[in-house]
Amino acid sequence: MNVTNQSIEQGTLVTIDGRIDTTNYTEFEQAMNQLFNDNVKAIYLDCSGLTYISSSGLRVFLTVQKKMMSIGGKFLLFAMQPTIKEIFDISGFSSIFSIFETKEEAL
Amino acid sequence: MENNVNKTFIIRNEVEELNRVVAFLEQLAEEWQLPANTIHSIHLVLEEALSNVILYAYEKGSTHEIRIDVNYTDHQLGITITDTGRPFDPTQQKEPDIHLPAEERPIGGLGIFLIRKIMDEVSYLRSGQENILRMTKKI
Repeated sequence: MNVTNQSIEQGTLVTIDGRIDTTNYTEFEQAMNQLFNDNVKAIYLDCSGLTYISSSGLRVFLTVQKKMMSIGGKFLLFAMQPTIKEIFDISGFSSIFSIFETKEEAL
Repeated sequence: MENNVNKTFIIRNEVEELNRVVAFLEQLAEEWQLPANTIHSIHLVLEEALSNVILYAYEKGSTHEIRIDVNYTDHQLGITITDTGRPFDPTQQKEPDIHLPAEERPIGGLGIFLIRKIMDEVSYLRSGQENILRMTKKI
């Protein structure tokens, strides 16, 4: 898994590539925690390179969403692959996250 | 491919072993010519079930083996996970309420739920010192 950040006018654009599973979800968690430490108020997450997610990764997504809601911030996801979207649908996560088809729609 | 094929894989109760499970599944996908979405589902189900055993079934620091049996017959894929950890029946776990808003959603509790949603049948048996989790899916 690889997580990269880029400051943009609207907030921070985060790109995640690879798998988020039980073996590596803490790396994703740490990357997201760093954004909170930096007082980022809007996170735009590019999911196009995310190929796999298990409940360990979903837990981090939910934690981020809760934190962003508590500070009145934004956490927007876009370009999710169908297999990942299916897991979000099954988990009921599709209704608690803002998920967009494209980056342009999210921004 | 033959009509009835079986494969057994054994891992230790360590999180890093889940990476070996991925390699095992890649080999299985090739040998049994399973579609990518099936492998994706099986990967997720195995990770959820095995991580529960690895993280919670045994005393910390003790090493044990966990056996994974996979079989494919008549368009049905069967997975059996056998461990000798403390008794745990995933089929008795309460399902999370997936309609709650984010503020009220508890963190966690999704792993077993995903297994039950993805697989067609999930059954548990405690036999002697063994937990035996059997899961099947039509493909």
